Amino acid sequence: MRRRAVLLWGLGLVAATIAGLAIGATSVPLRDVIRALSGVGDPTSVSIVRAVRLPRVVLAGLVGASLGMSGAALQGTLRNPLAEPYLLGVSGGAAVGAVIAVTTGILPVPLAAFGGAAGAVLLVLAIGRTAGSLGDTRTLLMAGVVLGAFANAAILIVLATAPADTVRGALWWMMGSTAAATSFDIGVVGMALLLGGAALILLGRRIDAVSLGTDAAAALGVRPESTSRAVYLWASLLAAASVVAAGLVGFVGLVVPYLARSGGAARHRGVIAASGLIGATLLVGADLAARTVRSPAELPLGAVTALLGVPFFLAQLRRR
Amino acid sequence: MREPEARRRPAFDHQTTVLGGELVDLGGALRRVTDFTGILPRMPVVRIRRRCWATILLLPIAITCDRAPARRAATRETPTRIVSLNPTTTEMVFALGAGSRLVGRTHWDSYPPEASAVPDLGPGMSPNVEAVVAARPDLVLLYASGENEPAARQLSGLGLHVVSLRINTIAEFEAGLEKLGELVGEGPRAAELVRQVQSTLDSVRRATAPLPHWRVFLPAWESPLLAIGGGSFLSELVDIAGGANIFADLAQPSPPVSFEEVLRRSPDVILTGPVDAANILASPRWRALRAVRDARVLVYDTALVARPSVRMGAAAVSLARLLHPVPRS
Repeated sequence: MRRRAVLLWGLGLVAATIAGLAIGATSVPLRDVIRALSGVGDPTSVSIVRAVRLPRVVLAGLVGASLGMSGAALQGTLRNPLAEPYLLGVSGGAAVGAVIAVTTGILPVPLAAFGGAAGAVLLVLAIGRTAGSLGDTRTLLMAGVVLGAFANAAILIVLATAPADTVRGALWWMMGSTAAATSFDIGVVGMALLLGGAALILLGRRIDAVSLGTDAAAALGVRPESTSRAVYLWASLLAAASVVAAGLVGFVGLVVPYLARSGGAARHRGVIAASGLIGATLLVGADLAARTVRSPAELPLGAVTALLGVPFFLAQLRRR
Repeated sequence: MREPEARRRPAFDHQTTVLGGELVDLGGALRRVTDFTGILPRMPVVRIRRRCWATILLLPIAITCDRAPARRAATRETPTRIVSLNPTTTEMVFALGAGSRLVGRTHWDSYPPEASAVPDLGPGMSPNVEAVVAARPDLVLLYASGENEPAARQLSGLGLHVVSLRINTIAEFEAGLEKLGELVGEGPRAAELVRQVQSTLDSVRRATAPLPHWRVFLPAWESPLLAIGGGSFLSELVDIAGGANIFADLAQPSPPVSFEEVLRRSPDVILTGPVDAANILASPRWRALRAVRDARVLVYDTALVARPSVRMGAAAVSLARLLHPVPRS
């Protein structure tokens, strides 16, 4: 990515973060926001800025970065610009787990969501392996898509038979939200991003080789199978952590890598890192829009990401 | 590629200690964990002091752990600033004479009319936490549901006094009103209101006892078809008013039911709000029901009957008049 683009997105992230801390359902003057951040001033403002807005902004940034990096790595490895973090069953599996947990109350939602996501990804990878080599991306894509359809069916059946007053909660979970950001959520995504993000960036060069094709990778001394497997697992870990903390936030992982590449990044190390930056910027902005546009009511974050992301994407597409 | 080379490397020296500090063989641990993921050859061998590693891992947590617990008030005085995010409790707070202390309500709280003067804080499900905090309440009333749990936890974490109530049945209404009375310092008044409601309901029950109890179907929603079930106060009110809810055996407040089951249970009367009544009369499939063909679709006053409230006595009276009309003399 060109230096200018990095600088612009970086500035964008800073601006979005400041706006995210300064704007909300109640108006707190900017000067009070700054004082509240360091814990001084009116206790209500301090609570609003430090306990309500700050965790949201931080979580949105971490989730956006995770989804962006995850999507970038998967698109490179699968050699398919339509690949996204939820491709390998993360969203379907997590949603089944979460919807069952929300409607029956037998398990904590984060645990159920993570269990579902992990189960689905392992299943998809197992199918991919039995049906042929993991290097054959078509089998894997098929397995992911089919499992997604299966998960959808399971969700519909659970929702159709669930008590009416729990259905809304389940739907809200599926639409994604950072409204209830807790330190647990931030810890989970933060840790996943720290480990998974580093791993994916370290894998960048090998993804470069794999993205040239299986034969080219082999000629370069890179084993496509082990590289793909590593990318799938790390990318899915990032996606699963995001889903556990913020529900299903779509579109970010799909469009952000494209923006990173059109920003001038060619090698995957750069694309993945830039996707983290862009993803964080977009999601902090989208979260701000989700909670201010119809304030005091909130819009579903998963829908706002697409509403904001599509125009961006189309503008880039036209410029090409 | 270089994986075999890595495997050939000599085993890690796990016992290294440097400068007397505790050292963790992080490289070794990561190597073992990530071995199968294949990123191994690129992973630099890192040895980090345990404390340092913990700091890195806990950093994201530390960012938000530092929440201002400034207002974790130890003593609970009678609240003067109440946020009620549930139309039922808003109505109760007004009935207790504490309406002037309300500083926030949901978008849907329309009764009593004075409620519209209270600031609208948006939805009552998944409420806007920031808007609630900004109202500086000393008591927050929420509808108790899984969907509201994260918000309740967040608000409690900020030291706010949060009370979640779910009021579906008459017994829950009475217990809720008494609890609310205690909370806002209007205990005697709450007890008096509960007594009044009970005595009205008792007299309606006595009046309808000798009358035939019609089998009543109460649709709660048309598509998907939901019925008022035994878990709703409305089912109890119908019972008191001289009817028998055909779905009283279902424990949920509004369970989904199949149309065939409604046909099978063959209600004498359909009791519903005006909008649903119009739909039911207009729809051909409902004509399969005897009650519809015989034009026994009764319409209740939604504003009076739709919520469990201190007006439940009046609601029971109006339902009894609907089910057992007396010729005016």
